[in-house]
Amino acid sequence: MAQAGKGKLNYRCPSCFMRDLDIDMFYDPDKEEYYCIRCCYHGSERDVQEKNEMARFRYRDMLRRIDHWED
Amino acid sequence: MPQSDKLILNVIHRPEMSPEYSETVMTQNASGAAQDRALMRESLDIFRLQQEIAHKNGIKTTIQMTYGSLFCSEAVAIAKEHHETYGDEIALTLLGLPCKQFKEKYKTGEFCIWMFSKEDKIAIIHDVFEKFHEQFGFYPESTGSYYLDAWLINHIKRRYPSVKCAVATCFEEGPKAYHTCNNSWYTLIDGGPWNPWIPSKQNTHAPAANAGEDSGIVAIPHISRDLIACYDGNGSNFGTHPQNVLRGMIYKDGKYPYLFNLIDQYRHLATYNRGFCYNMMFVGPGWMNKLGRWEAPYELLVKSYEDGMAYYASLKQSGLLADMTMSELADYYRSTHTYSQPECALWRDILYGSEKQTFWYCDPFMRAAIDMNQGGAIIDLRPYVAKLDTEMGVGTKHIQDVSYPFLIQANYRAGFFTHYAGKGTIKSCKVSYGGEAADLCLCRTKAHFSDEGTARVLTLDPVELKLAGLTASVQTVFRFEEGSAAIEVRRHVLSVSEPGAKLRFSEYIIACYGTTEYPEDMTGITLSVGSGDLNKTIEYAYKCREETVENANVASAVVPQIQTRVSLECTDAERGSIREGYAFSPMFTLEMEAEKGEKETLTTWLRLAKAN
Repeated sequence: MAQAGKGKLNYRCPSCFMRDLDIDMFYDPDKEEYYCIRCCYHGSERDVQEKNEMARFRYRDMLRRIDHWED
Repeated sequence: MPQSDKLILNVIHRPEMSPEYSETVMTQNASGAAQDRALMRESLDIFRLQQEIAHKNGIKTTIQMTYGSLFCSEAVAIAKEHHETYGDEIALTLLGLPCKQFKEKYKTGEFCIWMFSKEDKIAIIHDVFEKFHEQFGFYPESTGSYYLDAWLINHIKRRYPSVKCAVATCFEEGPKAYHTCNNSWYTLIDGGPWNPWIPSKQNTHAPAANAGEDSGIVAIPHISRDLIACYDGNGSNFGTHPQNVLRGMIYKDGKYPYLFNLIDQYRHLATYNRGFCYNMMFVGPGWMNKLGRWEAPYELLVKSYEDGMAYYASLKQSGLLADMTMSELADYYRSTHTYSQPECALWRDILYGSEKQTFWYCDPFMRAAIDMNQGGAIIDLRPYVAKLDTEMGVGTKHIQDVSYPFLIQANYRAGFFTHYAGKGTIKSCKVSYGGEAADLCLCRTKAHFSDEGTARVLTLDPVELKLAGLTASVQTVFRFEEGSAAIEVRRHVLSVSEPGAKLRFSEYIIACYGTTEYPEDMTGITLSVGSGDLNKTIEYAYKCREETVENANVASAVVPQIQTRVSLECTDAERGSIREGYAFSPMFTLEMEAEKGEKETLTTWLRLAKAN
């Protein structure tokens, strides 16, 4: 197997992101998957995107535009 | 001093010849010099694009030339042209030092100016300022880095008195940023102000208290950050750097209303600061590179920058924003602020939907954070009054960690909740009746701000306590008197359900000292409690001892490691106590107790002083 490299986008590990760690993943072209060199996460691009969506669960006001600022 | 309520905006761009974020293992390949040239070309193109986006929106910028860009005739020409055409300020950053010339001369990969030895700092400052002068024929009025230590600011000001503004630290970028970057990003610079300030000659984080302490510059933080999200999470996810918001994944389908909410909350800070409100946007070219940045493709990176700038433009067109260069900001700030004037922010959660509020207060004597989600507990306290004169960089005892030390940091040192045993740092109050007790940390509430001339007042909504069948309503009011180096805390008993019932209040502070999550040696700390006639002391030795004095009026701790004395004062306490910790709980506690009934008030003062 040849060495891993960068994927088409520089995805971070979604599992590490959820514990406030930004770690670039590497891409294994043979297995067609991204993998984290710190934790055990590995997955396809689609899986990464799904897990990134999950990481947003805490941002309940992510899409709310606030227009009232008084105390 | 009354001000305009307009959001004052600094937009800062820097032409980096080798953007730090593009030099990671993820972008390296075997092509060497060819890649370097391509990177430089792309970086310059991004700088051009950033400038174009700002100018298209009618926003002037501060162009912070990097050392490498001073050797690039094209970058120099762009700066001159944009200064002439758009009124942009040509300034000099101490970021972006790495370039061929720098590496050949200094033979190092180091790029953080505050970590160099004094000798190197002197040589580098000479090199970059003189090169700037050679290219432009004048010395800059603005400079900056992620951090500039006080010694360095004093040196720059002495050698180049034209400098009057600098990016001097990041707000709450320290152990959290280090952790987020897989323990590889050494900006350990927690504990500073979040909005512009005049740094003291002794310590960059600590504002000057008077003209004698004035370093001669106005400092601005690197990025305007979310004052709640940054305190617990990675600061680089929650700032007015649009790509911070992308880094935090706070967007969906190309929409990121959080960015505009964040800008608007900074506008709202005018309410607490006599009309002054401020924002800065400071995006290095590496964040808009063609490869994309993490999950965000290039198109989204550019769109976020365009959208951010367009929002600023819309505010400007509505008369709600004034764009300034850094040197203009410095002049404006000095014309509208006094040394003793505090910076206040009653910040609300705008991301997690919790309705949580935190009040931030900063003056020349302290920085404090009060958490309304914990009943108004003080969760962060930095004793600026000590104005720690700490030498920093290689050859000193402080090579990397330049955070201003805390007495309280409820996240790094537990706060109210600990696991099984021991205490965490917090300033709160325990209320008891009939053998039952409740800590105000468990009473979630809201706060309201008022400006009473020389005092800023934070009035919390009353909280209800249920103790042994009694229902009581207690209201807390904080008062910050300018120049006092003290926080007055009043606990008003508004009502009790049983006539004549008395509540026992135990006003307390649990503290230690440090700059990180890890404990420091408490040996050498002296605890005292006294009434004037009788004084008792404990020399800290991890023996879990306690001393009590009836009718005490002050309990205090002298922490020589940070040259600070912290005291809890009360004029009508029944008793005061001091408590030593132990190795598993390396804290100390100061406490004042008193009984109060309906319509009565317990008043205490948390006071800070320099001790050396």
